[in-house]
Amino acid sequence: MKNIIPKIAACCCAFTLSACACSSDAETVKPDGKLDKCTIRFSWWGGDDRHDATLRALELWNKLHPEITVKAEYGGWDGWEEKTISQISSGSEPDLMQINYDWLISMSPDGNGFYDLNTLTQTLDLSGYGDDVLSFGKVNGKLNAVTVSVSGRCLFYNSDVYNRLGAAFPETWDELISLGSKFSGEGLYPLDLDIQTGCSAWYLAVVYVQQQTGRQFITMDGELGFTEDDIKAALDFYKQLEDNHVIRTVRSRADEDGNAALYQSSEFIGGKVAGVLEWGSSVGKYESVLGEGVLKTGPLLSGENGNGGWMIKPSMLYAVSKNTKHPDEAAALMDFLLNNKECAEILGTTRGIPSSAYAEKALEDSGKLAGLAQESDEMLEAADTVTISPYMELSQMHELYSKAIEEVSYDETDTASAAKEMYSAVGEYLKKVRK
Amino acid sequence: MKKHSYRNPVGVSRFTGLLLITPFIIGFAAFILYPFICSFILGMTEYNGISAPKFIGSENYTQLLHDEKFGNALAVTLKYAALLVPLKLLVSLCAALLLNAEIRGIGFYRTALYVPSILGANLSVVIMWQYLFTSDGLVNQLLKMLGAAPVSWYGEPAPAMFMIVLLRLWEFGSTMIIFLTALRDIPRELYDAARVDGCGSFRAFIHITLPQLKSVIFINLVLQTIAAMQEFNAPYMLTDGGPLGSTYTLGMLIYSEMFGHFNMGYANAVSWTMFAVIGLVVLIMFRVTGRRRDSA
Repeated sequence: MKNIIPKIAACCCAFTLSACACSSDAETVKPDGKLDKCTIRFSWWGGDDRHDATLRALELWNKLHPEITVKAEYGGWDGWEEKTISQISSGSEPDLMQINYDWLISMSPDGNGFYDLNTLTQTLDLSGYGDDVLSFGKVNGKLNAVTVSVSGRCLFYNSDVYNRLGAAFPETWDELISLGSKFSGEGLYPLDLDIQTGCSAWYLAVVYVQQQTGRQFITMDGELGFTEDDIKAALDFYKQLEDNHVIRTVRSRADEDGNAALYQSSEFIGGKVAGVLEWGSSVGKYESVLGEGVLKTGPLLSGENGNGGWMIKPSMLYAVSKNTKHPDEAAALMDFLLNNKECAEILGTTRGIPSSAYAEKALEDSGKLAGLAQESDEMLEAADTVTISPYMELSQMHELYSKAIEEVSYDETDTASAAKEMYSAVGEYLKKVRK
Repeated sequence: MKKHSYRNPVGVSRFTGLLLITPFIIGFAAFILYPFICSFILGMTEYNGISAPKFIGSENYTQLLHDEKFGNALAVTLKYAALLVPLKLLVSLCAALLLNAEIRGIGFYRTALYVPSILGANLSVVIMWQYLFTSDGLVNQLLKMLGAAPVSWYGEPAPAMFMIVLLRLWEFGSTMIIFLTALRDIPRELYDAARVDGCGSFRAFIHITLPQLKSVIFINLVLQTIAAMQEFNAPYMLTDGGPLGSTYTLGMLIYSEMFGHFNMGYANAVSWTMFAVIGLVVLIMFRVTGRRRDSA
């Protein structure tokens, strides 16, 4: 009996490590260019507007390809990354996935985490994409994912509240700050920034400093571009917004909303908070909770150095699982979602303005290339934008931004100390990730 | 009347018992023992869930000693357990004493008090808590009516912790049921004899009820402490660990490392450390209460 326990432990050890190793080295199924009868899974996150449109698009797919059944798996953003990583770890991920930009680094650092789409061109047409857009999805020369849309965060305001107060949408940083006094008399706020999963508080502060200095916060190859002083300037700017009643403090935000997302909170729906910084591709959820035409796009804020510093990135990408048994069918579904004219009309701008030239043309021809997503897209195209480094989006980085902002907001520390700590922590983490 | 005779289909031999518990053994080995051992092994690797794990020995445990987040999470977890467990034992014992009375409709009251335990910390309860504790919530409105200052439940560390304690305190049903069962097992003669000797209700509670409940109080203490130290749902859904990390428990740290940062090796090392801490706390409880329990 004494000898059995170490033997069981040794077997478990060998089995565990080999099982983990095997799950990462599983043989990929080669494409044959034919569409066979099968069932494939497709997953995405989003709000109700995106879910409804995608389900309608899948009904159309079902009519065109009755032999290929698609099982839809969808939900909100919260917890989605966690769900996906556990599926990928166990090799049970869907055949086709909507993925986030930074997942390419965390889930496919060597380019082997997803199917190489260069091998699926028999069923996936990439002629509607420019090389620059396709390059977003390349890791180690392998095309791991295709960009659905390129998007950036813009400012959107509740026009009813602004009109009632006789306030114009701000065009400069100074105008934004001066709005605080106008809104405070009514107990309202011209804008809201959060430290939850999106951490828009840090995002806006980064835009401000990037515009002032011309330096990128984190470079595309994962180097920290900001100096410690730049980080301090960003935190000072954030604190200035709170102190001037432009945004709620972290404490009052938590008190009023609990742990709920802004678009679900009575403060936003009731107009107490009259502005939001949001991705053009995801603004639909904010638009839908207000009356029609109430939410309007505001200008990109500028300073003495113009309106540079605003950021863009692939808002989402489609990737095929490396473990899929049906690569051709998954690629065909991806092609349908990216390029099909009727599908594009159904999906509209629920995933932002499509990067595929075919889908964009379909929307343009049908007069659907309009709305907040289109307006924000046009504004960003006209500005001197910076492409966000995928390293900036990593969840550990978000934790560091939130910690610094929260401590500054609660006056737990001064901006200089918070900047020092953050500079060192971000630098160390980036070094570890790049390793 | 015809007498039925039953035959043991497997026969009775020295292996019969073993055969009968085989389904349990298989289930236990596959779903508890194997993951348990795997977790220990993965705790000694660097593993992101995608690439093959790399064996790094005790490095994760060394890192844990210098991790500020781990220290904070451990302190929060111990504080949470120290606040919740005594309160929960007290409330559930009081409720059990009330429900032990012979009154009409007692079945209804027992069911009503047990319902919150079935609900758990699910989404509907979290939404209800938001209605209760946000700045314009019911609790602050009541405080205003009473002339008291409103409390920043979500925004301040101490009230946020209290809010989570309150959520779990509300779910005292299972502890209460254990107390109630034990109360009903206390022989009535003890109380009758005490009453004849002129003993009042309070003295009877101190000198008869509590000594009779010693072992049950200990069982509840151990079970509730283990559950409290594994807390994840309530802070994750209510406060996301905030404000300022004041409700960030070990359970949340494990989840965040595992699924947020893909440090699966490190997350398993934290899990095993949590297991060791819980074991230590329970061991201390056994040691401290040992003599008193024996004298019951």
